[in-house]
Amino acid sequence: MAAMGPEGAGDWYPVDAGTTTVAVAERAALGTTARVVVWPPGRAGRALAAVDAQLALLDEQASRFRGDSEISKVHRCLPGAARSGSARPGDAPRQDAPPKDVPSPDATPLGSCIVSEGLAEAIAVALAAAEWTGGLVDPTVGGALCGLGYDRDFAALPQDPASEAAPPEPGHVPGWRSVQLDGRRLRLAAGVRLDLGATAKGLGADRAARAAAACVPGGGVLVSLGGDIAVAGEPPVGGWPVLVADEPEPSGPELGQLVRLAAGGLATSSIRCRQWRRGGRTLHHIVDPRTGLPAAGPWRTASVGAANCAEANAAATAAIVAGEPAADWLAAQGLPARLIAHDGSVRLLGGWPVIADGLVEVPAIRRMPAAPGGGPAGAARPPLCPGGPAWPRGAR
Amino acid sequence: MEHDNPEQPGWVRLPGYDEDPRYPRGADYPPDYRRGAGARAAGVRRVRQASNWTAALLIAGVAAATGYFAHHAPPAAPATSTVTTVPGGTAAGVHKPSLSGPVATSSGSGVTVGTGPNGTRIVTYRDN
Repeated sequence: MAAMGPEGAGDWYPVDAGTTTVAVAERAALGTTARVVVWPPGRAGRALAAVDAQLALLDEQASRFRGDSEISKVHRCLPGAARSGSARPGDAPRQDAPPKDVPSPDATPLGSCIVSEGLAEAIAVALAAAEWTGGLVDPTVGGALCGLGYDRDFAALPQDPASEAAPPEPGHVPGWRSVQLDGRRLRLAAGVRLDLGATAKGLGADRAARAAAACVPGGGVLVSLGGDIAVAGEPPVGGWPVLVADEPEPSGPELGQLVRLAAGGLATSSIRCRQWRRGGRTLHHIVDPRTGLPAAGPWRTASVGAANCAEANAAATAAIVAGEPAADWLAAQGLPARLIAHDGSVRLLGGWPVIADGLVEVPAIRRMPAAPGGGPAGAARPPLCPGGPAWPRGAR
Repeated sequence: MEHDNPEQPGWVRLPGYDEDPRYPRGADYPPDYRRGAGARAAGVRRVRQASNWTAALLIAGVAAATGYFAHHAPPAAPATSTVTTVPGGTAAGVHKPSLSGPVATSSGSGVTVGTGPNGTRIVTYRDN
């Protein structure tokens, strides 16, 4: 294991990767584990410092578990949007008077404020993912998640047997169209609570990988945030070797598949992690906005490769929520994907390598539509759920 | 071209061909004039042969270049193109690493798989 440089690196600890040609380090971040792999290893210190800066920024901007994060302040500040706490003097962001000319889908008043460029980008990516997937990846599931009990950092969730008698109530999902973003001006309908979890880690991995790669000119970087992986710079020979796993502790035939990633991102969504029990039911963190309850489709795990990690993240989550139609949608997008059904059967799509150690060839052009204020997108593709969720607003 | 061709309709003689009063058109030309005609014919033949060789070389060159670029040119990047990697090579004077075991795991959040001593695989489930 190559030694990690001390300069600027935070609480990283080295990981033995069995080689000295790359440096590997991990630390806790964003409610999960961040892992960074760098070559040449001598420049790892600067790369880790760059990753630290990006992760700290994202945490300050988009963590709904931090009371002092920007998104928490948004929830407190906007009229009618508060679910916990209350607006305090000096709370950022700057609040504007609610606009009178923009009705919300629920005809409830919209609160308006100016957010930072970083949070605006995170919300923009979440809205782009929602549009792309026809609303199946929805940033307004935050309230429903809280209602289901996922209202704090997962490690702090009580596994309370006393709550067995209380069945979980479907949470209210206002819908992504109740969020409007114009540049840095954010408008939220009353009661909307944002959860950027389906895209924020991917976005964070993309940001961190880009920043770190800039510190190792000629070299390469892999950044993994809880299994959402982005790579930048020059890959190793044949690509970065990544194990795609399903089980938290895989063994035997379910050990997983070794693949190679040379560009873009790779993300996995699974209902087998972040589970908790309420009302005699085992719940998980991927909420179907059509029901307000944890997704109950045929896939337990979805791994997707894409032009960037945010897109891979959104597609993987959408596949879990969509259920059976996800296979056709992923194939139409040309995204390499590996779906695992509840019975353990594996379905490979979009050129996902059949053999072990095969290269995941990701599209060079991203499939998600351009986020508001974002860069150019690829060709328009049909949404996963055309026309948006097919259920009456307010219904469960 | 071995001989001067007989005059054909629409043909135009080179300037000065029939300006010499000693050799009017259709006359029986003396040997010295025929030697001149032979020399001209030989010159034209050499030029034509040279042109043929030049054309052949050009065709062969274009064919070779076409074949080379068909196999070595980078593909365009349409919507369906993919990103692949090129084995080997160096960057910034350092050889690219060649890795055999996984350096990261993509799974449900919190799962990491590492390689321990003697190549043993270590699976850790963290959810911080």
